[in-house]
Amino acid sequence: MSLQTDKRDFSERTTDGLGDSFMRNAVGSAQDSLKTRRLSAATALGDWEQWRTAGQQIRQHTLQNLDYYLEQLAGNIEKKGGHIYFAATKEEASSYIRDVIVQKKAKKIVKSKSMVTEEIELNHVLIEAGCELIETDLGEYILQMDDWDPPSHIVAPALHKDRRQIQRVFTEKLGYTDDESPEKLARFARKVLRQKFLEAEVGITGCNFAVANLGAINLVTNEGNGDLTAAIPKTHIAVMGMERIVPTLAEMEVLDNLLCRSAVGQKLTSYITVMGPSVAGDTDGPEEFHLVVVDNGRSDILGSEFNEALQCIRCGACLNVCPVYRHIGGHAYGSIYPGPIGAVITPLLGGYDDYKELPFASSLCAACTDVCPVRIPLHEQLILHRQNIVKENRTGSMERFQMKAAGRLLSSPALFGKTLRFAHPASRLMSKHGRIVRGPELIQGWIGARDLSQPVKQQDSFRAWLDKRKGESGE
Amino acid sequence: MTVSGNHHTSGNNKESFLNTIASKLGRERRHEVQLPDIQSLLPDSYGSLTQDDLIDILKEQCFFIHTQVIESKPEILQRTLDDLIEANGGGSVMTSGDPRFAAYGLKFPGSFAWEEAAGRELNIMRAESANTAVIFADYALAESGTIVVESRPDQGRSLHFLPAHYIAVIEKERIVLRSTQAAAALNRRVQAGEPLGSSINLISGPSNSADIEMKLVVGVHGPLSATYVLI
Amino acid sequence: MKVSIFSTCLVDLMTPKVGIAMVEVLERLGCEIDYPASQVCCGQPTYNSGYLEDSKLAMKNMMLAFESSDYVVGPSGSCVAMFHEYPKIFKGDPDWELKAITLKEKSYEFTQFIVKVLGITDVGASLDGTATYHRSCHMTRLLGEKETPFQLLEHVKGLHMEPLKNSDNCCGFGGTFSVKMPDISEQMVDEKSSCVLDTGADILISADMGCLLNIGGRLSRKGEPVKIMHIAEVLNHRNPVIAKGGSQT
Repeated sequence: MSLQTDKRDFSERTTDGLGDSFMRNAVGSAQDSLKTRRLSAATALGDWEQWRTAGQQIRQHTLQNLDYYLEQLAGNIEKKGGHIYFAATKEEASSYIRDVIVQKKAKKIVKSKSMVTEEIELNHVLIEAGCELIETDLGEYILQMDDWDPPSHIVAPALHKDRRQIQRVFTEKLGYTDDESPEKLARFARKVLRQKFLEAEVGITGCNFAVANLGAINLVTNEGNGDLTAAIPKTHIAVMGMERIVPTLAEMEVLDNLLCRSAVGQKLTSYITVMGPSVAGDTDGPEEFHLVVVDNGRSDILGSEFNEALQCIRCGACLNVCPVYRHIGGHAYGSIYPGPIGAVITPLLGGYDDYKELPFASSLCAACTDVCPVRIPLHEQLILHRQNIVKENRTGSMERFQMKAAGRLLSSPALFGKTLRFAHPASRLMSKHGRIVRGPELIQGWIGARDLSQPVKQQDSFRAWLDKRKGESGE
Repeated sequence: MTVSGNHHTSGNNKESFLNTIASKLGRERRHEVQLPDIQSLLPDSYGSLTQDDLIDILKEQCFFIHTQVIESKPEILQRTLDDLIEANGGGSVMTSGDPRFAAYGLKFPGSFAWEEAAGRELNIMRAESANTAVIFADYALAESGTIVVESRPDQGRSLHFLPAHYIAVIEKERIVLRSTQAAAALNRRVQAGEPLGSSINLISGPSNSADIEMKLVVGVHGPLSATYVLI
Repeated sequence: MKVSIFSTCLVDLMTPKVGIAMVEVLERLGCEIDYPASQVCCGQPTYNSGYLEDSKLAMKNMMLAFESSDYVVGPSGSCVAMFHEYPKIFKGDPDWELKAITLKEKSYEFTQFIVKVLGITDVGASLDGTATYHRSCHMTRLLGEKETPFQLLEHVKGLHMEPLKNSDNCCGFGGTFSVKMPDISEQMVDEKSSCVLDTGADILISADMGCLLNIGGRLSRKGEPVKIMHIAEVLNHRNPVIAKGGSQT
């Protein structure tokens, strides 16, 4: 998987999404049930808004001093005998990891869920190198078994699949013989994967936050696969986006609380682990620990007008409240990062050539901004993208013409006065029984699905009524 | 523990990587930073809670995270644990090598304790074949129903994950309100230069997943059940 | 108290009755009405589409139009919220930043003005029926006004309110979004319409005409007889006085 999961047009992807009624039911009901859970977990913290502010300040402080904290992290990891590698590009990141593995002649790899490893196309690179790689997060494992179906949600990657589809995949690919109950499916996966953990030579995990003053990484999970991935194989390679770092455990604790509550409505997830290179006396855990810090386009965001997007802690809350995501699903975004945050960062990482539609796939309802635990002004960032896309002349000459005309009209009392006078007569040709039935392309989608009345006659308008009143009152 | 090869050290890439960051931030590299006071932003939720309140909070939360809470006493701890192990279907037991097992006079015939001398493979194998793990918590966090444990020579990481069932003994005086207190205590140790275990685990109940239709399944890769025993 | 009406272009072009109702209610509550005729549009359609410079022209026109107003009151949470964005948009612009802040500070959404400035929650309205209320995203999230419509509706005699499921989900209007991405918008308004129908209400109320044109247009297309009312119309409604012994209809 790379950043891009689908090369077709946005409109084709959207049509697929809108036509997938199972996916839409699954996403809709997930959104509805998570809403209550998230709210109650957030409320339980006391003053959620203050916690959000604390989260925002931690993230902003860390970003402003990112070089300092990364350097501190590197020093502390190395002091403990771990390795840290700074990768400017995805190629550097994935080939470093490949080289570490090849040098050990290791073949058996277990992985726990990590979005950044998707971004650097690690699975592809390692499989090319002849490794047997297993994704151990239940959702990711299901997708891998389904011939690497792309994830559609950053927290629940297989959200678009129902239990019967999963049962079918397990039956066809793994000889599963039981029914479609989620418990039985999960228990089956547990058994298969347990063996993989025990045999694995290298474990690869992501990293929710690196802790700079400790030289450790923090993993936040529920299934326990992340810990097994790090505990059993002799080599642990963790991969992090360069911005995913906190100064100390105290800030980590604030962010973990925001993350768990926002992502899944839990106070804390089942497993929150702070782990690093092994120390004297350890009998399990890695004999060799590598941390790969990935830039891959992030530094271009740093200090730009999109800087706040780097505050993201990948909780997925913005996906869970997004009414657009609700209907088109994650795959329609064509990116491993879907939803509102995806519509902000995907064009930054992948460019407008492939992703110029994403910032427009929002009604700007601001539900994302409202829910974001670190206060990223997501809908404002979408508007910034739109401005850039307009500046770069990527919106098409027709739209441009219309918008320029609208700009003139909406700023000119005289032109608007004329519009009020002529709108009704001009709409007559397009109307039937007082309703607009045809019109320029611009409004066809609108009237295809909704009734729209004709504009009011000038003599019946609000302004005319005001004028008439004024006349009557003799002013 | 060496990785040879030309580009496999952080030195070369690190400088240019960090320089890029500084330049994107429009300044020179920083070598000193003042950490802002974040904690003062957060309300002190401890208030006037007593130890009994904390126990109530812990019990209530455990209900939501599918974790059984049993109140016991040192005098009957052995029996409580034996009953729980029995209820898990008996089978083999693995404990940590925590000295508190001896201090409370706990014995589980035929069980193994995690021990440095046994080495990686044997410890992992014993944990994998154990039906029940029994450990002592370093702290418990009432609000989230969490126990905190640290890896040590007598307590490996996988002990908490491989056995099918998990029992944590919590001494009541080790219950604090939230993760805030645990993080602060650990952070004090870091700042004092004390070494920490290579893995600090905050464990809240059994493993679970909602990856299939967002329906909660309890018991995925880690333990299928979790029980806290309060003494 | 002199109140300058910010009618919004939708009311100007499509729904004069909303403007009229707003004026009548405000006058009944003792306000003196002023209508700066050079106002046009808050600039949101072009702003949200990414045409910043073109939008600024519309915004400047509005700042000038309302320059001498004491209070600016509009029947749309969304358009008023746009006014509240002006200071951000003109930040650092020596000629306009102060004007933007001034406009923000004196502009209110209609219900917000009645409750928060006039301090009134019972406007003496009455309307028999069962209604549900659609809260617009911009009014609740950008303007931050969640309560005032409900405080006022609570005091409308004869009106029974039914809660709307998923009331915080967008109806799919989003201004140019509904035009640019009609397929997605249609699914959103479809779901919203279903939620409205599930309430069994015979009236749908909102404080934003954009949402109402969207949801109402969809309901009408599906042949559903739900009546659409802007909250100004509800607050301006009085049941006819019935002679003694008569019955209300």
